Amino acid sequence: MNFFDHNFREIFFSQVVSIAGGLIAGLALAFYTDRLLLIPGLFVILPGFLEMRGNISGSFASRLSSGLFLKVIDAGRINTRLIRSNLVASFALAIIVSMVLGVLALAFNYFVSGVFLWKIVLLPLLAGIIANAIEIPLALMATFYLFHIGHDPNNIIGPFLTTTGDIVSIFALLIALVVI
Amino acid sequence: MNGEKGHNLQIEKVLSYSYPHLSRHAVHKRPISKKTAFYIHEYGPHSHIVHVIMKESMRVLLLASVISSLGGLALENIRSSFLAVGALVVLLPMMNNMIGNYGVIISSRFSTLLHEGRVGADFWKSAEVRMMLLQVMVIAAITSLLAAVFAVAFTGPFDIALFAKIALVSIAGVGIIVLLLFFVAIIAGLHFYKKKEDPNNFLIPITTSIADFGNMLLLSALVVLFF
Repeated sequence: MNFFDHNFREIFFSQVVSIAGGLIAGLALAFYTDRLLLIPGLFVILPGFLEMRGNISGSFASRLSSGLFLKVIDAGRINTRLIRSNLVASFALAIIVSMVLGVLALAFNYFVSGVFLWKIVLLPLLAGIIANAIEIPLALMATFYLFHIGHDPNNIIGPFLTTTGDIVSIFALLIALVVI
Repeated sequence: MNGEKGHNLQIEKVLSYSYPHLSRHAVHKRPISKKTAFYIHEYGPHSHIVHVIMKESMRVLLLASVISSLGGLALENIRSSFLAVGALVVLLPMMNNMIGNYGVIISSRFSTLLHEGRVGADFWKSAEVRMMLLQVMVIAAITSLLAAVFAVAFTGPFDIALFAKIALVSIAGVGIIVLLLFFVAIIAGLHFYKKKEDPNNFLIPITTSIADFGNMLLLSALVVLFF
């Protein structure tokens, strides 16, 4: 068994790509620290918000990949009932999870700081809508594109969604903060 | 493969006996794979796809969000000291990504080993499991060091003392959580496999939530300890 086999190389390079995405998101966070300080319960929202890209867009891409490999999904047709339903379900899940994160942040602020700031519910909700309106179609296009050019989307889509998702999520959160 | 061949031979035998004119087509008609049958059952023309996806995903997604947010509570308590160090702010998403990815990698690879029957209850005897642990730990050490270098280099002049602290936080944080994820994935994987469930469906949400929760909690403890 070779220690530096293809598994080692694949994991290592996917992690380096993932670090690059994390670095951009981290720099954006550091750059806008003053603004982010204004969000009460930021760290209650942030982990769950960042996790959504993998849990929702990742699962969406994974379902599509399985369908493509099983030939249940036609690689030449995007506008089908199966894909439309997957898009609707993923987006609905993203909205519900964003709302729950907002409620958790509201509860945290109320019980820890004694402040009832209802607008905090809107922040992850709006940011979730913005981020997933970009991220979910991106996952769809990337999965189809990777499949078309002969790659297994399962091996590439994970680090790709983590990288793009981090950047999109942080900027969506900042846009929502400015709007609200 | 042998099962499928046997199945085809059986069809051919039966058809050649009862309906000789159909026997030639029977060998070409392969049985539908279990995976395809499962996929069509879940997302086929007679299924309400949106309902199926939402019903199966909702509970685990909400649970994962609540667990992640609980981890965030620890960090929220040391918010000001955390945000005061720019390198820590940059390090957070990088660590989050890395640990989450290791959770997915360990879970999916261990699930495959279970499905292929290459590992059993005596997992510690498996050379492949030992190799996977060793590879993941070595890569985790290298990538967390790399993350620490980036975090310090991109947030100001390179301070060796700060780098040492950040590197310690990064390597210790990632190393401890990855080790924890490894054992959780093995124990939970064996448990679900024994119950005849697909470990793929459970291990990824479980390990991702533990990764997020553990990362936030451990990061908070290390920040209190070193900063």
